[in-house]
Amino acid sequence: MTYDFTSCFEALSGVVHQVNSEEAAAQKIYEICQQQQVSCLALANLPEAFIQQIENYCGGLKILKEPYPSESLPLAMDEAGIGVTGIEFAIAQSGTMVEVSDNDAVRLVSSLPRTHIGIIYKKDIIDTYFESGSRIREIISRHDRNVVISFISGPSRTGDIELKLTLGVHGPEEAHAVIIEDH
Amino acid sequence: MASDRYKHLYEKITEALSDTKKKELLLSCVKRGRDTRAARLETLPGGAAFRSDVRAAKERCIEDLPRLKKLFIENARKRGVSVFEAKNGAEVISYCLDLARKHGARTIGKSKSLTTEVIELNHPLTEAGLNVVETDLGELIIQLVDEKPFHLVFPAVHKMAPEVAKLFSDLTGKEVADDIPSIMKVVREYMRPIFLNCDIGMTGANIGIAETGGICIETNEGNARLVSSIGKCHICVVGMEKIVETVDDALLMIMAHPVSASGQLPTTYVTWMHGRSELGESGADSERESHIIILDNGRTEMRDDPEMREALYCIRCGACMNICPTYGVVGGHTFGHIYPGPMGICWTAGVHGLETAGDFAQLCVSCGLCKEICPAKINMPHMIAEIKHRDAKTKGHLLVNRVMMGADKAAKLGSATAPLANAALKSRPVRNIMEKLIGLSAERKLPPFAATTFMQHFAKRTPTVKDPIKKVAFFVDVYANYNDPKLGLAAVAALEEHGCEVIVPDQDVSGYPSIAYGGMDQARKIARSNVEKLTPWVKKGYGVVAIEPTATYALAVSYPTLLRDNPDARLLADNTHELFEYLIALEDETGQKPNSALLAGKRFGFHCACHQRPLGSGNGAMAWVRRLGADIELIETGTCCGMGGTFGLKAGILGHELSSAIGEPLFKLFKESGVDAVVTESSVCSIQLAEGTRLPVYHPLQLLDLH
Ligand code: SF4
Ligand code: SF4
Repeated sequence: MTYDFTSCFEALSGVVHQVNSEEAAAQKIYEICQQQQVSCLALANLPEAFIQQIENYCGGLKILKEPYPSESLPLAMDEAGIGVTGIEFAIAQSGTMVEVSDNDAVRLVSSLPRTHIGIIYKKDIIDTYFESGSRIREIISRHDRNVVISFISGPSRTGDIELKLTLGVHGPEEAHAVIIEDH
Repeated sequence: MASDRYKHLYEKITEALSDTKKKELLLSCVKRGRDTRAARLETLPGGAAFRSDVRAAKERCIEDLPRLKKLFIENARKRGVSVFEAKNGAEVISYCLDLARKHGARTIGKSKSLTTEVIELNHPLTEAGLNVVETDLGELIIQLVDEKPFHLVFPAVHKMAPEVAKLFSDLTGKEVADDIPSIMKVVREYMRPIFLNCDIGMTGANIGIAETGGICIETNEGNARLVSSIGKCHICVVGMEKIVETVDDALLMIMAHPVSASGQLPTTYVTWMHGRSELGESGADSERESHIIILDNGRTEMRDDPEMREALYCIRCGACMNICPTYGVVGGHTFGHIYPGPMGICWTAGVHGLETAGDFAQLCVSCGLCKEICPAKINMPHMIAEIKHRDAKTKGHLLVNRVMMGADKAAKLGSATAPLANAALKSRPVRNIMEKLIGLSAERKLPPFAATTFMQHFAKRTPTVKDPIKKVAFFVDVYANYNDPKLGLAAVAALEEHGCEVIVPDQDVSGYPSIAYGGMDQARKIARSNVEKLTPWVKKGYGVVAIEPTATYALAVSYPTLLRDNPDARLLADNTHELFEYLIALEDETGQKPNSALLAGKRFGFHCACHQRPLGSGNGAMAWVRRLGADIELIETGTCCGMGGTFGLKAGILGHELSSAIGEPLFKLFKESGVDAVVTESSVCSIQLAEGTRLPVYHPLQLLDLH
């Protein structure tokens, strides 16, 4: 690998956590919830077993998860202080998490809460930006109707007032990537 | 009178120049855009090489647009998207109104879209009772104050925090502190219910992908993610030129756009939307809709016009704005109709008509820099010249511009009547009359004419070089011929010293002023004549060497575009060289060492003329000076010195005054640098720098006589 995801994502004001297992990742999520004193957490795009582990660690918190009933959205999601989504793959060179969803509830989980946490398995980090082409094409052709691929490279930012970089104007003010080393 | 037409423009420039605070903000905005781009190019593998890829992809996709558009529509429809092809803005408006009615919509959350701005979509929707909210912060500010974007990427860059705080305080009825974090907090709170309750989410698209039928939307704030996922109905308005063929093309654009705009790789969020997804799980059939409106609005005509087609290669990065010298001091409300900056002239001509574009096209000084920074290498200087030309066909040229286009004839006369003409140039009363009559600034110190021209001197010489190692056809242009023949002779001597045979074949002036002021018939005539006169020598093995950067640029860059179908123009361009690149290569080849003690201990600041940027960027001249023992460094702001060829010689606000305002930051750099003198190859830049820096200014060849 020529590029290091961690330093590239951090250069974009993102925060990276490296952990060794899903269990450690669940623990990390809980820690972040504690630090930020949130009482409600939303999950999407995650494997069932992992959700279980998060639920184990975050027992005292309100946890929103799929399936999300349509009638409740988007309002219900606005309650969550942290959104956790599974990341399909990440690009080291550009510090990008690539989220794939065929339900827009997933996009709300990663865009409405103040903090977004992306879950990345280390094997899913590719080196260069242009390498992503074949994976993107493959994802799109896997879905013959709807699919949304979202590149997420750090927290929501704007420089619209006096060019001063400010985070979190609409989307997340904090973007975390939890990288699970061993899977 | 043609000048009455520009009264409004003059007023706006005057106003822009007097607003110091705004000017500072704008300057730091464009400078930061240039600097962050440059910093990214340092680390990007291949540096600026991606520009060739973008160019090639755009050429291919626009050539193939009818097929790609069809394919895009088919593929989008397969994914359940409704696609509508709109001929013009009115059709977009009525389509949107119908949809809003059908959905009983009240609130439309919009993310940034220049395409909808250009057709002024918001007004009729608002009039129909809809609450249309721009959700990009900059656009929201612009919407609240009912203005047009000041800059493409930073539409509200001219608004200071206190002003913005007041705006949101009026809007929310709450006290808003004027520090940026407090404003952001209020904005987030204010916008949240709008996002959550929008019935229709409206976005533009940066890209449409033919092979997949999907669109890509790039933002930094994440507002497009919200409006495109929440609203029951999503409407995307996309200009038809945004359609590319493949996913890889899309990736290329997604990278080229933010790299060029601000050095980002890519923007924080890129949404690749294919079809419309459900929002959560519902038992019932979903009513969630997706509509893509593909807008023509003049684009087909632009595509069919060989001089204007390149406008469709624009990916809206704003980089041309960040480098344009005049835009950089006056901003988008003066330099623009809706779409601001250099591309704004071209786009306005295509969408709002020649006349509207002509109203501000005079702000282009034809420095050529926009082309050099553009990720798609769009030849805006040429397109703008063509626009000035077409506009002048009905509206006529400004008198002063006609004078400038005929400056070579004046120089010829000046030289023939030298003592008299020089006395006149020095006489303030005469200059005042000239300013009144023809618009030549009386304040400018102009170089005197020489009684004997370079051509006359040269004819009297006997060639000295036997068994030449290279054959050179020397191109002299106006200044060296009529004002400073010594310079031309020194160039010839330097070439001969290295064993070159030098001839000065029959030639015309370069004709660049005709391009700059939109005298394209004349420019083409001159180009054709020079190509006819010079190419035979190229075919006989002569290299063409020129000393004036603008003349070199005309031959090497402008002629092949002016004479598109003439292969000889290309041949001449490929065999045209800047003097010092040529001399340095000769020194390397012959191993001949210059006297490295000649200028030892001297320190110079080099000024690179804009027209050298696509040529050698002055590296040849600097290397040449260094080999003579001097210290020389490039001193630059990254844009023009403000002279803009002969632009700065013109009197008044659309000339000398604007020219000086542009040059200010560069003058400051030179003055602070502590150099002994300024060195530049351009005869006009040297007038500007002498006046602005008060330092001595030399052509590199003049340094030989310095010691
Ligand atoms: S050629 Fe120079 S002055 Fe003209 S639009 Fe381009 S950058 Fe601006
Ligand atoms: S013309 Fe070129 S530089 Fe200007 S906005 Fe378009 S793509 Fe960017």
